[in-house]
Amino acid sequence: DDEIDELIKPESTVSIGVGHWSNDRPQQGIYDGMRENESPHLLIDADIVKRDDATGTWLRFETRNLGLDNREFSGEWLRQGNIGIKVDYNRITRESPQTFNTPLQGAGTTNQTVVNSGLATAPRRDLTLGTTREQTGLSFYKNLLPGLEFNVNFKHEEKTGERAWSPGHAVQFVTEPVDSTTRQLEAALSYTTKKWQLRGGYNGSWYKNNNPLVRVGYTGAASNTNPTYLSFPGDNEAHQLFLNGGYNFTPTTRATLKLEYARALQDDYLPTSGVTDWPAAVQAAVGPDKLDGKVDTRLAQFGLTSRPFKNFSLNASLRYHETKDKTPIRTFSTAGQPYNATAPDYVRNSYKTITSKLEGTYRFAEVYSFTAGLEDKRQDRDRPLRVTGAEKDIVVPLRSEVDELTGRLELRRSLSDTANGSVSWLHSKRSGNRYKRALWDHSDDIGLGGLQDVRNLTNPLHMAKRDRDRLRVSVDWSPLEALSLQFSAEEGRDKYHDHSTMVNGLDKGTNRLYTIDAVYTATDALKLNAWYSYDQNKAEQSHYRTHTTGGAGGGFGDPAFKYSDLQDTGNSLGLGLRWEATSRLDIGADLEFFRSVSQYDQDVVPLDAGGVPVFPTTANLSLGAPDIENKLLRLSLFSVYTLDKSSKVRFDFIHERWKTDDWTWQFADGSPFVYGANVNTDGTTVYTKPKQVSNFVAVRYIYSFR
Amino acid sequence: ASDPDAPDLILKGDAKCTSCHDEADDTKPTMLDLRPSILAIGKTKHGVIADGRTPSCTDCHGESESHLNHKGSGNPPKPDRWFAKNTDTPVDARNETCLTCHQGGKHMNWQSSIHANRDVACTSCHKVHTDHDKVRDKRDQTEVCFSCHKEQRVQVNRPSHHPVLEGKVACSSCHDVHNDNPKTLIKSSTNDTCYTCHMEKRGPFVHSHQPVTEDCGICHNPHGTTSPNLLKSRPPFLCQSCHDGLSHHGAAASLPRGPGSGNFQTVARGCLNCHTNIHGSNSTQNSSDGSATGYNQSQSLRR
Repeated sequence: DDEIDELIKPESTVSIGVGHWSNDRPQQGIYDGMRENESPHLLIDADIVKRDDATGTWLRFETRNLGLDNREFSGEWLRQGNIGIKVDYNRITRESPQTFNTPLQGAGTTNQTVVNSGLATAPRRDLTLGTTREQTGLSFYKNLLPGLEFNVNFKHEEKTGERAWSPGHAVQFVTEPVDSTTRQLEAALSYTTKKWQLRGGYNGSWYKNNNPLVRVGYTGAASNTNPTYLSFPGDNEAHQLFLNGGYNFTPTTRATLKLEYARALQDDYLPTSGVTDWPAAVQAAVGPDKLDGKVDTRLAQFGLTSRPFKNFSLNASLRYHETKDKTPIRTFSTAGQPYNATAPDYVRNSYKTITSKLEGTYRFAEVYSFTAGLEDKRQDRDRPLRVTGAEKDIVVPLRSEVDELTGRLELRRSLSDTANGSVSWLHSKRSGNRYKRALWDHSDDIGLGGLQDVRNLTNPLHMAKRDRDRLRVSVDWSPLEALSLQFSAEEGRDKYHDHSTMVNGLDKGTNRLYTIDAVYTATDALKLNAWYSYDQNKAEQSHYRTHTTGGAGGGFGDPAFKYSDLQDTGNSLGLGLRWEATSRLDIGADLEFFRSVSQYDQDVVPLDAGGVPVFPTTANLSLGAPDIENKLLRLSLFSVYTLDKSSKVRFDFIHERWKTDDWTWQFADGSPFVYGANVNTDGTTVYTKPKQVSNFVAVRYIYSFR
Repeated sequence: ASDPDAPDLILKGDAKCTSCHDEADDTKPTMLDLRPSILAIGKTKHGVIADGRTPSCTDCHGESESHLNHKGSGNPPKPDRWFAKNTDTPVDARNETCLTCHQGGKHMNWQSSIHANRDVACTSCHKVHTDHDKVRDKRDQTEVCFSCHKEQRVQVNRPSHHPVLEGKVACSSCHDVHNDNPKTLIKSSTNDTCYTCHMEKRGPFVHSHQPVTEDCGICHNPHGTTSPNLLKSRPPFLCQSCHDGLSHHGAAASLPRGPGSGNFQTVARGCLNCHTNIHGSNSTQNSSDGSATGYNQSQSLRR
């Protein structure tokens, strides 16, 4: 009976151990709760399950990473098929890999002061920024009647921490003090019969920002002393009713219906409405103290799936999705400013999307299936309006209608002992109506002449006319019983159009992926696997370029044409071994290697050969962005030794190497980035660690019981 | 052939199967996971007979008369429905087996889902005869998903990524593979899916950024990128995909040689060094710092 119990009764395990990283790993340790290397880490995991077979009652306690910063645990009581309750706690930490050495005063608070006097002697300190999410959840389940179930899930999250921020008008360092509360509730009733299925209920979500705004001041009495008020998102909430239904007309024909209605509200006081110490030069804002935001979302979707003939199946759907912004259009913050066509009136962003889809699959010759599908997606956007009802001028050309038609063909060889394969091709055409032109009475444009319309020469990436092709081939092949191979190749091409009238923006896009996986089961005790992937993403885009210093046009002359050829290329490799060396000893090894190269080629060609050089030529700038290479190598070894029937010991060793030449937080010569518009202001220095090598050793004792 | 007088081991009526597939025939779970343990169904929720809804072997595998009545030493014919990788049971028949009980609730739209229409079977992802179904454990789920989704396997290892490999976010945190939402997301739109964790982006804001209100996926690739903050490409290139070349908007990518150059569109946070509230601004503060006219500072998502 013990032998049978071992096979059919749930098993509990408790694992306790210690682990140690030899060096800090700012990049690889962003999320894993093991950044700090001062002390060994306590490794505690447990999965304790008790089941009463007579009543079908489960009692479960689970914990992961209990000794780490990103710990989680849950407890569940379930009388299966009747009633259940579950509570859980999950902590997600994110530590920034950069270290900021800063004289900023009040970091992490809502009243911060940037140093712009006496910088040389100002006290400084190191800041490692990061955020923590603490999530607690409660779920309840009850089977009310045969086929009728009630579920309710509630999740509460506290998010705290700091992120890098800026006052907005200059490259200065302040921190964004994150302190918010999020709550989500879902309550649903499900009714299921053989013919009918229904699920309906309520979704509610609430976001509360515990900081209204940050006031940024300056230590000096120089020109830049007026405070800046940095706004946070306001509190918001949303309430949704939903209904999902399915009906089986016959065993092979089924219809579904989805209905959703949601209202999102944002009626918090505007962060700056409480500000009373506006300096005279800034002038207090006028206008409403609340946005009274209101956005309604509606979804109606009808689906039909059928197999009208033995070898032919059909899938059709019609979907209507609308996000309607009903927030009142009012004017915010115009005090002392000329009212013009771009006055800061609230802009409504509403969208309506109708998607229709039809797809059929025909199976033939027993092993083949052929699929053909068509999808038509039509999207309408609102054009921004002013308080007066007239159309508001915009800064980027906008299409109010974007349509995309996608066709798809696929041939699959679906049933075989040794080989399965498929080849698919997708083609889509995206287009839309005429653009609303961007015209902005920007005083800086004066004197530019023909260049004033430059902003209408850029074709926005999400609306541009585009042809897309995707080809994918995949093969699963088992040439031997012990060997299985998987190969897939994908190639995608995007071509953007309208370049005769809108010459700038994305021009071409390419993405490709070649990958091979192999699994070899050498013996009943030894299994090997290997995989390799090559991926590449390219984007070519063109742009006008005008420089901001010098030039005949008062700072905006001497135009040039800029062409960027962006590429991300990756090579990834994985090797694995699992070996049951003896009846007591399991050994495993994994080697992973990832290398990515990002290239940022750009050409800038002056349009006016007689003008001043178009490149930034000040002594402080180096044109161009060098390639970035990231490399990660990780070798993981483990062994599990069985001491007796209920206990094991596990040893882990990881060797991890991370290297990058990422210049994101560097100056052209590779020195650390320093904040500040000039050498007398701010002076925050940002350090990154380009090479991180660390070894991890751990030992765990694992106890199992029933 | 099965023994009609044998007692049931786990499920009602399972004796006709477990009289042969007993402890002597079964395999204990091992690290290599080469063969499923038939009796391990007893460790799972399918193995709880106190719940009257749980099936017996034949509910899923069929009455399988030829399999049960086989005599002799050779391998018996397969059951009516079997679910191993090299099965000859059609996908529809395999899935109908599961849908007999699991058609309702969150599986209501399975038949119109992308997975169902690409011949994915429930058992392509789920293992029934185990108490550890990898795809339902967020630490191990990627092993299952990445067996098909190779591009995402690479992307989650990029420098900027969600904590998927760290076991804090699972594929199913964002994707409901049994549903027919666009991109098989858990909600009916990309933005509603993102708001479940990033609710502060929901707004609305006094000053909004149009693509933010439309689709987070215009700028972000949630699976992982080489650019910070999951951006599809870096500023200024990404921003210049929409914004004009006038003024500083059109700056060529360049690295400053030291502080004070005033040209920081490429390094640090790029364009976001100044347009710091890029998802939306609630500021009404007019400018006090010189060059730009009044409202521009807040309207251009700077504070």
